[in-house]
Amino acid sequence: MLAYVIRRLWQFIPTLLGVVLLVFVLFNWVGGDPAYLLAGKISNPEHIENIRRQLGVDEPYYVQLGIFLKQIATGDFGASWATNEKISHIFASRLGPSLTVLVPMLVIGTLLAMIAALAVAFWRGSVTDRAIMIACTVGQSISILVYIIVLQYVLGYQLGWFPVQGWGQDLRENLFYYAALPVLVGVIVSLAPDIRLYRSFFLDEINQDYVRTARAKGMSDTRVMTVHVLRNAAIPIVTNVMIQLPALLAGAFLIERFFSIPGIGREVILAVERSDFPLIKAVTVYVAIATMIINLAADLLYKAVDPRVQLK
Amino acid sequence: MSKTLRRIVLGAAFIALALPLTCRAAASAKTLRVTFQAAETGFDPVKVADYYSGSVIEAIFDPLLTYDYLARPAKLVPNVAEALPVISDEGRTYTVRLRKGIRFADDPVFKGVARELIAQDYAYSIRRFLDPANRSPYAFLFEGKIAGLDELASAAKKTGKFDYDAPIAGLETPDRYTLRIRLKQTDLNFSHVLAFTLAGAVAREAIEAYGEDTGAHPVGTGAYRLKQYTRSSKIVLEANPAYRGTVWNFAPGADPRDQAIVGRMQGKRLPLIDRVEISIMEETQSRWLAFQKGQTDLEYQLWEVAPRFMTADGGLKPEFLNRGIKLDRTVDPEIIYTYFNMQERIGDQPNPVAGFSKEKIALRRAIAMAYNVNDQVRVIRKGQAIRAHYPIPPGVAGHDPRYRSSIPYDPQAASALLEKFGYRKGPDGYRSLPDGKPLVIRYSSQPTERDRQFDELMKRSLDSIGIRLEIHKDRFPELMKLENQCRLMMRTSAWIADYPDGDNFMQLMYGPNKGQSNNACYESAEFDRRYEKSRLLADGPERNRLYKEMTRIMEVDSVWIMGDSRYRNVLLQPYVVGYKKHPVLHTEWLYIDLEPAK
Repeated sequence: MLAYVIRRLWQFIPTLLGVVLLVFVLFNWVGGDPAYLLAGKISNPEHIENIRRQLGVDEPYYVQLGIFLKQIATGDFGASWATNEKISHIFASRLGPSLTVLVPMLVIGTLLAMIAALAVAFWRGSVTDRAIMIACTVGQSISILVYIIVLQYVLGYQLGWFPVQGWGQDLRENLFYYAALPVLVGVIVSLAPDIRLYRSFFLDEINQDYVRTARAKGMSDTRVMTVHVLRNAAIPIVTNVMIQLPALLAGAFLIERFFSIPGIGREVILAVERSDFPLIKAVTVYVAIATMIINLAADLLYKAVDPRVQLK
Repeated sequence: MSKTLRRIVLGAAFIALALPLTCRAAASAKTLRVTFQAAETGFDPVKVADYYSGSVIEAIFDPLLTYDYLARPAKLVPNVAEALPVISDEGRTYTVRLRKGIRFADDPVFKGVARELIAQDYAYSIRRFLDPANRSPYAFLFEGKIAGLDELASAAKKTGKFDYDAPIAGLETPDRYTLRIRLKQTDLNFSHVLAFTLAGAVAREAIEAYGEDTGAHPVGTGAYRLKQYTRSSKIVLEANPAYRGTVWNFAPGADPRDQAIVGRMQGKRLPLIDRVEISIMEETQSRWLAFQKGQTDLEYQLWEVAPRFMTADGGLKPEFLNRGIKLDRTVDPEIIYTYFNMQERIGDQPNPVAGFSKEKIALRRAIAMAYNVNDQVRVIRKGQAIRAHYPIPPGVAGHDPRYRSSIPYDPQAASALLEKFGYRKGPDGYRSLPDGKPLVIRYSSQPTERDRQFDELMKRSLDSIGIRLEIHKDRFPELMKLENQCRLMMRTSAWIADYPDGDNFMQLMYGPNKGQSNNACYESAEFDRRYEKSRLLADGPERNRLYKEMTRIMEVDSVWIMGDSRYRNVLLQPYVVGYKKHPVLHTEWLYIDLEPAK
């Protein structure tokens, strides 16, 4: 096990280098010259050159790449070019609001999708199953933007059940008051694809021999579904949930923008609009590292869930 | 405890936690709630360029001069100065005397001692614009103007350190309350720069103490101070207890609404609003719903949804009038125009729209005649703009409301003009150059929904006269870069007044500004000669005559296609009183009130 973990950790290095090179090339190729954004309405070549010098974008590419690598090694990505705010402070202050929305969204969404998928898998082929599958297909075809606009208008404005937007200073207020509608929107959006996916996982298991054996032994349907089928379908479900975890770092920018949530997703969009490379670099690297760590954790978790899994 | 009982207890606990939050009390009295549609970047006056940061800076810092709240066109009045500057030496020396006893807001950097505003603070604040370390986007306001300041900046570029203590002839403080500015050349309109929102005074000790984080620690002498700051999300200002306290005292102008505003506000001690809460809401739907739910008190960033609350003739729909909602409608001091690049070559390629020969002028004029500005106003702006005829927009000194463009919308005449000058149509229906080479116009824009609409209108307009259009899409910084290098053939651009003087607009076509603000890269000796003469004149008939001549020259050369100026529709809740949009001031928070009933 330890050897496996060490081997995987070593593999992080070339993967991360690939990500670094990709983001560096992309930014310098299509990112636009930030000096022209920062220069304001009237600028002259001397002014532009002064800004480029201060940002360090006048340095040769290999020097800039070296600085990037040093930033990753030290974890210090400097300050935003647009606002001068420390990148570390941006993460420290924006991750909280993002997680306040995204964690409940992920937990509630996953639980509801599992319950619904288990039920429709049990009644597979029935009218209920078909109706839910059609609803899921339709639901999945609709853009998240439509969900946000419609639900914000109907539930927030017309019915007044939730605030249409806003964010406070208190965690309890944010979690139970301001985050309620954004979480609901996120859950509704995620339900359709997740139910379809999890249903297929459950159906794969329901058709296995061990299920027939369990039934032949006289086990109740409830026990067969909730103990045997659920446990064996857990591996792909865990994989799906784990894949979604690194995205928490990048936030859910549309939900954050519409509901005025001061999360990291909004900051990422602002950074792209402003060609704010320090923040783009930091987010990309952190998401890459989180993805690698979570993938490793998922593999270790498979072993815990299913002892038949061999780590090589 | 049984499972059922446990569930009931948990459920009750959840409701107990959530219920109080749904029964929120209304915001406290005299709290104004507004929105920004884009995030601020910080509150250090020399380091920002965006409108929203400027709005907060305007509330916190004091420029020497400001503008009369009601007078139109905008009229300069003293702010912390005792009077308007004494202008001597043929417009080269400005002497301003500060009022005594004005204090900065209390801040830990002052260690409990009241800090008085002195002339040296302005001298220091102006110097900061030229400090290369600050890379100020508004350095151009002072660059090349104040004697000795550019030399100081040049020295700083060599040494890496700006010498704030070095004496210079252009910025002197003969005594504690007198600031003397010596300009390199005559400029009778420099007072507008002294009234500019970002030209407020900072305290040197605060700037030095907060170092790299001055953007989050603004310390000024203005009516408000920063109380709470969650970047890109929420900004809360509270009335500055150290504020000198001014009195609402403005004379009504010709606008019939002025009498009512004066009657309601005259003599009140400012500020009347104790707290300003600013929420950053990027999405129009969020701002629109928040206003309708009464979560905000005034809102103007609603261009996309204007037809939902406005009638075709620019009024409010009855359902909003019945709710007591008020509308303040003005034209922004801005100009939207499409320029032609006047340089003969773009990179190593010949530029088909450049040059002063008759056939080149005919080509540009034909394109201008084919462009349907009325459709721009009707479709793209949804009627929320007026057609621009003059390069100086309404509300800005030098604007001529009677001026009419000599270039009409007439695609048929445009086609005839092209035929006359040898731009013949080929079998594909598109024209070629008089020498038979292909004619392709390249129009640049950003990959946004709004710019796509402009692309389509331009394409339709040029198709109507048989000219082939190629759309070039690029991101804003790249377009800026290419524009500064005179490498864009055509682009629609916007300019909003930095200060309400025609010079701020006419400089957009001044030859030496090529590569900076003259994005058409237009160089006309006739235009430049008149512009240079106009710079030596104050606002008045003689300068206006020059502006008119310059506009006609530009039209004869067909350098710009005049576009529009957008309406600003400000929606106000019934309890907001005294509001009148100022053409230059970013916000009106200092001059308005909220009725006690709120």
